[in-house]
Amino acid sequence: MKSLQRGQLKIANIIQDNGVLKGRGNIGRDIKRDKYLYLLLLPGIICLFIFRYIPMYGVVIAFKEYNIFAGIANSPWVGFLQFERLFRNPEFSRILRNTILISAYKLLWGFPAPIILALLLNELKNQRFKKFTQTVLYLPHFISWVIFAGIIVTFLNPTTGVINDIISYFGGRKIDFLANKRMFRSILVITDLYKGVGWGTIVYLAAISNIDPTLYEAAIVDGANRFRQVWHITLPSIRSVVVILLILSLGNILNAGFEQIFLLYNPLVYEVADIIDTFVYRRGLVESNYSLGAAAGLFKNVVALILIWSANHIVKSFGEDGLW
Amino acid sequence: MKNSTNKFSKSNAFDIFNIFFMIILIILMVYPFWHIVMYSISDVRLAMRGGLFLWPRGFSLETYRVVLKNPVVLSGFRVSVIVTVIGTAFATFFTATTAYPLSKKRMRGRTFFSLYVLFTMLFNGGMIPTYLLVKSLGLIDTLWALILPNAIHAWNIFVMRNFFATIPESLEESARIDGASDLLIFFKIILPLSKAVLATIGLFLAVGYWNDFFSTILYIQSRNKWALQAVLREIVTNTEMAMSRQGMSAVHRQTITTQSVIMANIVIVTVPIILVYPFVQKYFVKGVMIGSVKG
Repeated sequence: MKSLQRGQLKIANIIQDNGVLKGRGNIGRDIKRDKYLYLLLLPGIICLFIFRYIPMYGVVIAFKEYNIFAGIANSPWVGFLQFERLFRNPEFSRILRNTILISAYKLLWGFPAPIILALLLNELKNQRFKKFTQTVLYLPHFISWVIFAGIIVTFLNPTTGVINDIISYFGGRKIDFLANKRMFRSILVITDLYKGVGWGTIVYLAAISNIDPTLYEAAIVDGANRFRQVWHITLPSIRSVVVILLILSLGNILNAGFEQIFLLYNPLVYEVADIIDTFVYRRGLVESNYSLGAAAGLFKNVVALILIWSANHIVKSFGEDGLW
Repeated sequence: MKNSTNKFSKSNAFDIFNIFFMIILIILMVYPFWHIVMYSISDVRLAMRGGLFLWPRGFSLETYRVVLKNPVVLSGFRVSVIVTVIGTAFATFFTATTAYPLSKKRMRGRTFFSLYVLFTMLFNGGMIPTYLLVKSLGLIDTLWALILPNAIHAWNIFVMRNFFATIPESLEESARIDGASDLLIFFKIILPLSKAVLATIGLFLAVGYWNDFFSTILYIQSRNKWALQAVLREIVTNTEMAMSRQGMSAVHRQTITTQSVIMANIVIVTVPIILVYPFVQKYFVKGVMIGSVKG
């Protein structure tokens, strides 16, 4: 049971299975025996090759001066020129700062919240009420950012929005939230939390449901109250899940939430809201600076790869199970 | 004795607080949608007064009548249904066919293929190389551009693989002794046993396709091929322009407002998800737990 829990979500489990070579025949016979397995595998492998691996080759345009007519292969190499342009671009420090800040704020609020909510849900005694609450809390995850943007725009509307109606009811002055530089990031963090917190609990609730109930019985015999049970049994039991999700979040720190920001931002708040992804779209794609955009995208993806690798390494050096 | 009753009441107070807290959360989660539905069916002149909506003020479906006559909304609905149905069927099927062999330890090259899939999760080419690829494949302005690039996801493959790995080998062994091939075993034994995880991944994919607006922005030019979410996005971010595009004259302006148009559109786009959601909900909770946790 314990080892089962520790292996939760462990991607690397897929890869590690020692001793499988035992008892195999020769290669040709094995491949012939499993021919249908390879046949089943083929379409997925081809699809991933086309839509994931070819774009990885496509990032070479970050080292070229891409020309639409010449194509990827025939465009001239320019070395690190695009990266120099990117780093010298006055917008670069802004998008880097915004990306990290927005992401960090989201992590700071959005990471612990589902854990706390899962613990609270787990304490609900009425199972039907618990199920109903879960159903409602998961729902926002399935609603698109476009719809949420619509809701946010209408609720925060400076003249007719509900929030401003409430503010003016209490004698306050109406605020144009989405054009306000001081508030924009908070709006991003709050709406992201709102959309994701319920769904975030699902993994923790699953982990909690795997805890051996005899542990709680033993704790009750020892006189532990509910708070102590949570502190000494529930939390340590879900620790490995928490760690793994934390690594994944750290690897995602440069994904500040493209769709959400793209839908809500406007030139008035670019200074606090423009992130790497929106920069890639606006400067790279819309303005056809393909090579510059690809360089910015590559910068982001390489940093993300380094981050997830380092986070995994650090976690393992503390004696926890990592992702691989 | 006194001590224990004290503990009991403290614990009771916590339970009451907890239930109270959850009820507040539920209201917070439900109210925005309630507000929008009520606003959208209210008489516009009364709705414009603003404030909180508990029930509709007056009753008018005028906004819906106008919005549903909008050709872009109608074609958007059609495109989104087509893309969601075909995309979900296509992607769920090929996710399963990719995941099943990866769950077979005896297959040679399993480690290689697993790493091949895993790597797509850790690194990707990014928006612009993907755009250039779709363009060079000639998929620009076709519905395939909305379906194919997002079809196969490493994460979905691994969730399914983990599920397939929990199916006892003995079930397959007996079929194999009877002379069934891997193909037959996969279709006749494995898939029927995997309804929960197929429903889960299918739901995630369907929601992904239904909610996708950015693929339209990237790849689609003709307005009659826009997905519904992209139509809604244009209406939300640029209502004035969208209204004039939708051919709304000044006459309409008195009975509908930009607000009511946005609200009615939100309702139209959200309703399909809300309708399907309660029925598939029990599957995905089960599927997520089996797939990602008990791996």
